[in-house]
Amino acid sequence: MKKGELKLKNVGKKFKGFWAVKGVTAKFLPQRITGLIGPNGAGKTTLFHLITGELVPDEGDIIYQGESLKENPPWRVARKGIGRMFQDVRVFQGLSVLENIVLALQTPEEEIPFYGLLKKKEKKEEALRWIEFVGLENEIKRKAEDLSYGQQKLLALARIMAGNFDLLLLDEPIAGVSPVITKKILKLLREMVDKYKKTLVIIEHNMNVIMDITDWVYFLNEGRIYFSGRPDHVLGAEEVRRLYLGLVK
Amino acid sequence: MNYVIHLLIMINIYLVLAYSLNLVLGFGGLLSLCHAAFYGIGAYAYTLLAMHFDLPFMVALPLAMVITGLLAFFLGIPGLKFRGDPFVLVTLGFQVIIFSVLYNWVSLTKGPYGIPGIPRPEIFGFKIDSLYDFLGLTGSILILSVLFFLALYRSPFGLALKALREDERAAESLGKPSQLYLLWAFTLGGAVAAVSGALYATYVTYIDPTSFTLNESIFLVAILLVGGSGNFWGPTLGTIFLVLLPEALRFLGLPDTIAPNVRQMIYGTILIILMYWRPQGILGEFKIR
Amino acid sequence: MKLLVQLLVNGLVNGAIYALVALAFGLVYRSTRIFHIALGAVYTTAAYGMYVGVKSGLGVGLALGILTAVLLSLAVEWGIYRPFVRKGSSLGVILIASLGVYIFVENLIALLFGNEVKIISSGIEPSYTFGPLILTRIQIIQFLVGFAITGVFFWGIKKTRFLKAVWAMGEEPLLLEVLGWPITRLRNAIFVWSAVLVGLASMLVAYDVGTDPHTGLSAILLGAVAVLVGGVDSLRGWIWTAFLIAEIQSLAIWKFSAKWNDAITFLLLILVLLLKPQGLFTSESRVEER
Repeated sequence: MKKGELKLKNVGKKFKGFWAVKGVTAKFLPQRITGLIGPNGAGKTTLFHLITGELVPDEGDIIYQGESLKENPPWRVARKGIGRMFQDVRVFQGLSVLENIVLALQTPEEEIPFYGLLKKKEKKEEALRWIEFVGLENEIKRKAEDLSYGQQKLLALARIMAGNFDLLLLDEPIAGVSPVITKKILKLLREMVDKYKKTLVIIEHNMNVIMDITDWVYFLNEGRIYFSGRPDHVLGAEEVRRLYLGLVK
Repeated sequence: MNYVIHLLIMINIYLVLAYSLNLVLGFGGLLSLCHAAFYGIGAYAYTLLAMHFDLPFMVALPLAMVITGLLAFFLGIPGLKFRGDPFVLVTLGFQVIIFSVLYNWVSLTKGPYGIPGIPRPEIFGFKIDSLYDFLGLTGSILILSVLFFLALYRSPFGLALKALREDERAAESLGKPSQLYLLWAFTLGGAVAAVSGALYATYVTYIDPTSFTLNESIFLVAILLVGGSGNFWGPTLGTIFLVLLPEALRFLGLPDTIAPNVRQMIYGTILIILMYWRPQGILGEFKIR
Repeated sequence: MKLLVQLLVNGLVNGAIYALVALAFGLVYRSTRIFHIALGAVYTTAAYGMYVGVKSGLGVGLALGILTAVLLSLAVEWGIYRPFVRKGSSLGVILIASLGVYIFVENLIALLFGNEVKIISSGIEPSYTFGPLILTRIQIIQFLVGFAITGVFFWGIKKTRFLKAVWAMGEEPLLLEVLGWPITRLRNAIFVWSAVLVGLASMLVAYDVGTDPHTGLSAILLGAVAVLVGGVDSLRGWIWTAFLIAEIQSLAIWKFSAKWNDAITFLLLILVLLLKPQGLFTSESRVEER
């Protein structure tokens, strides 16, 4: 049982008689980057919801580091070490860059009312570390809502790094972002795995990114896993090319 | 001069109420319409404890806080399952239900007849009787409350509340349990509202349910919307402004028959204007969602 | 026993009125998502419009009541809601602005007419006996009008273009615009209908028991409860729930007394929402909608 190891066993989720996800069995390699690809509506984000506990599976089980995650609310799943970056970013708009990171650094004990007014100094230094990691050190006092979209994505990355998670679920981390910031984010992702030993699962539509950084890929279609393997194998598969990449023979 | 002191006393009482609601609304981001109910329960709890059990101020007050806090806690457990419009309606429901109890359970609360003759507080042998005494009492309690709330607002808990208010899903994805933290805020907010209730009861020496209606809850929310919430100065400004506004109108020579209606019309207008141009209030940080 | 039957029939009468209010509130809420507290002002205005007009005859009273209600409703939509929506204000902000409108109008009316109750129909209302039941003429009218109109909506929801468009607007307002539906005209129609419905309810009640400047809020809150308890997505649910609330109130009067009615209505709201948050007559929502 390795740190950050996630297994899905025959996971299924039904909405009003329609299976959004069915029979999904997958193993996400620890300290590697796994890609999750597939057409829109294939159930990729739904899988993320199921892992984090925002949705409860109707079938199957989700096992993280040897323990079942079912019946856990999202905050408890997070405390077990699973972090998430949302498709729509979701940084704390009204809070400053610094506050966004400090928040992620705070422990449950510290958040008991009245505890730890004094701990603020230490927190700031640690927060700066992650803010520098993504290169936002010139913006620490700025409110998140005043940052550009790309900067907000960087902030979200810094935030999950500060959160000290072992497994990170990233939903389209480079969507809608300039090439410069894309390069930066990709570099950070590799660093997160190589240097900080995180396990990453990435939902992505950009095939270059998939080829570039992932170690293993799952192709999801209509709620089922149609194909899995190394990125070049999956992207070369005829079925994938037909159903997803729009490349018909 | 006496009237000025009276105004200062009322401002002190309302400031404590504003800071306590600020925890729920400004920090928790929840539009609660039942805060006057907690204010009322605090007043009645204190009064009944002081008068039926002859408990001194320094005992009855904390007990009233505990009782109100427990009520807020038990209401919050179901209540905080909701957000948005349902939450507003549910807290409105709490307000109506509690008012109904205060008004209709005549054997306990004397209902619309009210409870007169509430004894003035006696603290360590010192009787709080005159206006100046009350100014001192409410002022001291205000200072304690300010310290209490500043500590809370600036604590990691306060920041966690702000994060929950900004984006609950994102905060939960970072391990913050929203139900639990909001419940603490709701409970603490209710418990401190009881302090104002007790102060009001001992100051006016008479309470009846009509001081703790839905309109009063709306007034408290208006303080936070006009002055601002989510920080310290917003509620401070809002309270002073809205408590003094009727006096300013009186100054302008408005006849007493129409003054209350004109005052309300001004409130309504201020709310509309502010919500359009400055939804976070004059000095506030939090914009209602 | 006789009392119970009487109360249950009274419940049907009240239910018809509540259903009108629920429809008025729900049409606006479902399509625009605006928590239309100002509807309470429209409610009160209709009653006072009738009060002023009735001096020149009942017909004039009715016409003036509806007219003033519609004018106010449109004024609120054009002067308040549209500007706020254009500005991109959040729904909570619009709720507060709506509350501001209510407070303003409520007190303007009190300023102009005084705070006391105004009677519209003087004299004793003729009553009719049906076996063990006694109903006054106005009660019968309330029931018939309310039942007829809510019946139209109940059956019309699947059939008329207007209602379908209103419903679609609540789901995908932008799509509707793309498809060529004139959103502004639709919104205008919604606010007109909302005013007509709530105006009728208000005047029916005012003719029965009179009116005062402060009844508006509690009247439309009942509508809001019916909509949320019935389920925002089920128009028929609003109607059923309106009658359900009225009957529960009758039962409460029979068991205890009228003074606990408000508390019981809200207790019902809270209990139902706890057990079935999406309302009695609807089903699940998506995680993303949180």
